[in-house]
Amino acid sequence: MFRFRLYWTFTKKAFLRSAVYRFDVWSRLGSNLIFLLMWGSIWTALYAGREEAGGVSFESMLTYIVVSQFLTGVNGAGTPLWEIQEKVRTGDISLELMRPFDVPLRYLFADFGSVAFYILTALLPLYTVMFIFMDLTLPSGWETWALFIVSAFIGFLIRYCIEMSFGLLSFFLVETGGIVDVFYFAMSLLSGSVIPLWFFPGWLETMAIYLPFQGIYYIPNAIFIGKISGAEILLSLGVQLFWVAASYLLLRFVWNRASQKVVVQGG
Amino acid sequence: MSVLNYFDLYFKLISAGVRAQLQYRFAFVMRIVGLITSYTGTALTMWIMLYQFQELGSWTLYEMLFLFAVSVLSWGFCIILFFHFRGLDTYILNGTFDRFLVRPINPFFHFMAMKFDVASFGQFIFSIGIFTLVSFKLQLDWTMGKSLFLLLSVVGGILIQGGLLVMISALAFWTTKSEQFYWVGMFPARNLTNYPLVIYPKAVQWFTAFVIPFGFVNYFPAAVLLEKETPFFPENIGYYSPLVGIVFFAIAYSIWMLGLKRYKSTGS
Repeated sequence: MFRFRLYWTFTKKAFLRSAVYRFDVWSRLGSNLIFLLMWGSIWTALYAGREEAGGVSFESMLTYIVVSQFLTGVNGAGTPLWEIQEKVRTGDISLELMRPFDVPLRYLFADFGSVAFYILTALLPLYTVMFIFMDLTLPSGWETWALFIVSAFIGFLIRYCIEMSFGLLSFFLVETGGIVDVFYFAMSLLSGSVIPLWFFPGWLETMAIYLPFQGIYYIPNAIFIGKISGAEILLSLGVQLFWVAASYLLLRFVWNRASQKVVVQGG
Repeated sequence: MSVLNYFDLYFKLISAGVRAQLQYRFAFVMRIVGLITSYTGTALTMWIMLYQFQELGSWTLYEMLFLFAVSVLSWGFCIILFFHFRGLDTYILNGTFDRFLVRPINPFFHFMAMKFDVASFGQFIFSIGIFTLVSFKLQLDWTMGKSLFLLLSVVGGILIQGGLLVMISALAFWTTKSEQFYWVGMFPARNLTNYPLVIYPKAVQWFTAFVIPFGFVNYFPAAVLLEKETPFFPENIGYYSPLVGIVFFAIAYSIWMLGLKRYKSTGS
């Protein structure tokens, strides 16, 4: 039985907590903007004055990067992975296991709260200004906007499930550094967050298409700039739904194994 | 105490730290694997980028890899010597910083020698691998002069990046925060320098040359070694890298010492 009101409390609490630590939250914008500057400059230099490359105009490409950086901000605003891993390491997680709620869901709903605060008070105002003053393309119809938001939301869920599954490996391994790094690498490259899939060499594009990461950034970004359009959007959303289901099952599987195997260090 | 004594003490202190870290062999190997993976990931990203476009601001793939490797190499040493400085805030907040003040040695030195992160072998393996590959592909002629220059600019790079870490940690004396400044400021800014500075807006290039002199870590020295132009900057400006490093680090050290004077213990 899913008790929405219980989990909604976590969302509200996380929102309020972000409001208390608002300067810590806003300072993340600095990092987000530096990375935007970096990728914006890289793509400007790669296009080197060309109007279009690979069938995509420069304006669309720049929009792709800006939207991608916006979504990176959204995806990075939740509880950081190391915080959860630290709880496992110190044994604090056992306190949460004793309580009458589902831990992965509790963190997801808490993330909704902190992400909402970050979007409303930092990302949205800043990126709105950017869209006003820069030559970027906006989706033409409200349907595209709606589909983009749906797609970005599903992408958020896919990322949460996979990231959490990797994070929970700290139940089994004391040091997860190497494995987590592989995940972050896959997430930044194969998700198309910095280089869109259409610029990949053929074999790598094929590989990326069969992996869940493209659902996190590539699909919503491409919907936004109209690279994916019409019936293709529905197909892409279908792919995303498949991956969100698959990664949710993965998370459930890892979580079940992990909570069976709570080895609290030092008693 | 004489300088020689300090050297002796440094090696004693760090060798204890190294032995402690090597006790967890699995963790040690995993961290190195992780580091090499993420650096290889950045290199692979560069490769894909240039798969379609051939060059980025007139830099080709191998030149960019070289640029990247110079930065990774000096960063490896920097991690050994200074990376733990970013966590000074935790020591101050917990009151554990006091133990660095009650011993008859320089507190800066004591804090520096406290930790020696062996995972930086990951950086060394990666950068040496890339240097070998690029030297072969671009047929670089490693004369004595060039090798010496590379070595000196790596030292410059260590001092510049180390200096910035020291400055960030000094902020903890005033604001009781430092770790966060690293992650929101220095970490992304360091990432900027993985790519040739020429692609950035002019204001950013000036800033990274003359305010936070990241440009002297890898861009200017690499341009000298690869005989590439650095638009908007004097030719061969890279030769100043070691000097800039010394000056910048001296400033950072003074700021740290100034902060130390201001430090008041939590009393706990």
